[in-house]
Amino acid sequence: MVLKNMKLAVFFIFCLFATIQASAQAESGATAKQVVEKFQSELIAVMKNGKQLGYAGRYEKLYEPVSNSHDLTKIARIVVGKEWEKLSEAQQQKLVEVFNRFSVSSYAHNFKDYSGESFVFDSEEETTRGGVVVHSTLVIPDNKPVKFDYMLKEKGDSWRIINIIANGVSDLALKRSEYTSILQREGFDALMAKINEKIDNYSKQ
Amino acid sequence: MNKPYSGNHNAKIQKIFLIVLIDIAISLSGCATNGVNGQQTSSAKDDPYENFNRKIFGFNDTVDNYVAKPVSDAYKWVTPQFMQTGVYNFFSNLKNINVVINDVLQAKFAQSAHDTGRLAVNTTMGLAGFVDVASHVGLEQNEEDFEQTLAVWGVPQGSYLVIPFLGPSTMRGLPGSAFDAAANPANYVGIPVQLVSLLNTRANAEGSLKFIDEASLDPYVFTREAFLQWRNNLATDGKMESSLDLDDELGEEAAKSPTKGSDTSALKKTTPELNVNTETTDIRPDHELRLSPPPSALKAVSK
Repeated sequence: MVLKNMKLAVFFIFCLFATIQASAQAESGATAKQVVEKFQSELIAVMKNGKQLGYAGRYEKLYEPVSNSHDLTKIARIVVGKEWEKLSEAQQQKLVEVFNRFSVSSYAHNFKDYSGESFVFDSEEETTRGGVVVHSTLVIPDNKPVKFDYMLKEKGDSWRIINIIANGVSDLALKRSEYTSILQREGFDALMAKINEKIDNYSKQ
Repeated sequence: MNKPYSGNHNAKIQKIFLIVLIDIAISLSGCATNGVNGQQTSSAKDDPYENFNRKIFGFNDTVDNYVAKPVSDAYKWVTPQFMQTGVYNFFSNLKNINVVINDVLQAKFAQSAHDTGRLAVNTTMGLAGFVDVASHVGLEQNEEDFEQTLAVWGVPQGSYLVIPFLGPSTMRGLPGSAFDAAANPANYVGIPVQLVSLLNTRANAEGSLKFIDEASLDPYVFTREAFLQWRNNLATDGKMESSLDLDDELGEEAAKSPTKGSDTSALKKTTPELNVNTETTDIRPDHELRLSPPPSALKAVSK
């Protein structure tokens, strides 16, 4: 009897470990490619219901997918370049917070409806410094395809997007030029005001 | 306006126009060099004449708001979509003569055969270019021009310039545009045709301009960066695009160069791994980081 109980206990413990391990793998074992493809499918799903959802609905539906697949904190730091160090801690926090909202709202605004678009995975490669680039193509019916290259870095035990290069134009480089230029010319408050204005405009259209 | 001009007369106007433009550009860059070198931002390397360029950018923007956009909107409103597409196809087809020339100049012989085929199919079966038959049979449009040829030949890009009425360019783009204009038959037919061509160009830029307007915090910087990256991507046929991943700026090694002399101290506690190196603000591809793109990507980029 005791033996049987032991057996049972061992069995249960084994099961427990197995499930823990499995769920851990589901969380952390996602490869760069999986992270990108998951995000792309979530994006397409929102586009399909884009009209009914409206801006607010799309924003809400995209908030988690964007935050979980992008390393927005890191992106926010990179786009302000060396100016990051000149910001106070409160400013840094505000920047990250506003930048998060801006990123999600620009997705919600720009991917508002669906006309047969689909993402196709092309290839994946490692960069010299431990990043991964996932090459994919957005196929748009009756239109030129757009090449999307996602640059990912490992954050903790998962991969996160830190840059998107569309047809050779790097989002990170573009934003960084803008943000550093505004910080240098007009200062932090002007930058915040401009981003908030853009978010407002996105939400109105 | 409706009177047909003689080819000769037109060529002359064309020439004068170009000379004036080039003169303006040279004198602009001339006076800019004397004045504004003091305030350099991070992109000063590519854009030493930023202050002057910004003025021209503002001027162009005004012209666009008050002249080009209203005319273009009116054109889009009165012209049925199939006509707009036809006009777009027609002018794109004419450009293919220049594409073929530049294919050859860049020694892309297979592509030149492809583009010659495209030109032939669209000019004949495509009713003088109004219908893009070639794309349906797999002869996609390639984008080549003389500026890219110069890049392939090793001519450096030079400074970024904003040209009155025409918009973004570079030092290398000036001879590029002059060559392209000379190799485009649309420029020899008559001013009305050139005007329609301009109108077509503006109408087709509507989407991009709207996007810039919505997305950019600083439209000047946004346009400049997007333009330079786009041209660079075209010139390298997309081969370098992955190296734009800014690995350098991601900072792991940037931490080596802590900010010199700047105030700070509160910042010391922020993890150094993200300190962005000032010296790496150059967004142009870092050659050692070059990744070879998959063939499909090449195709997508060259359209």
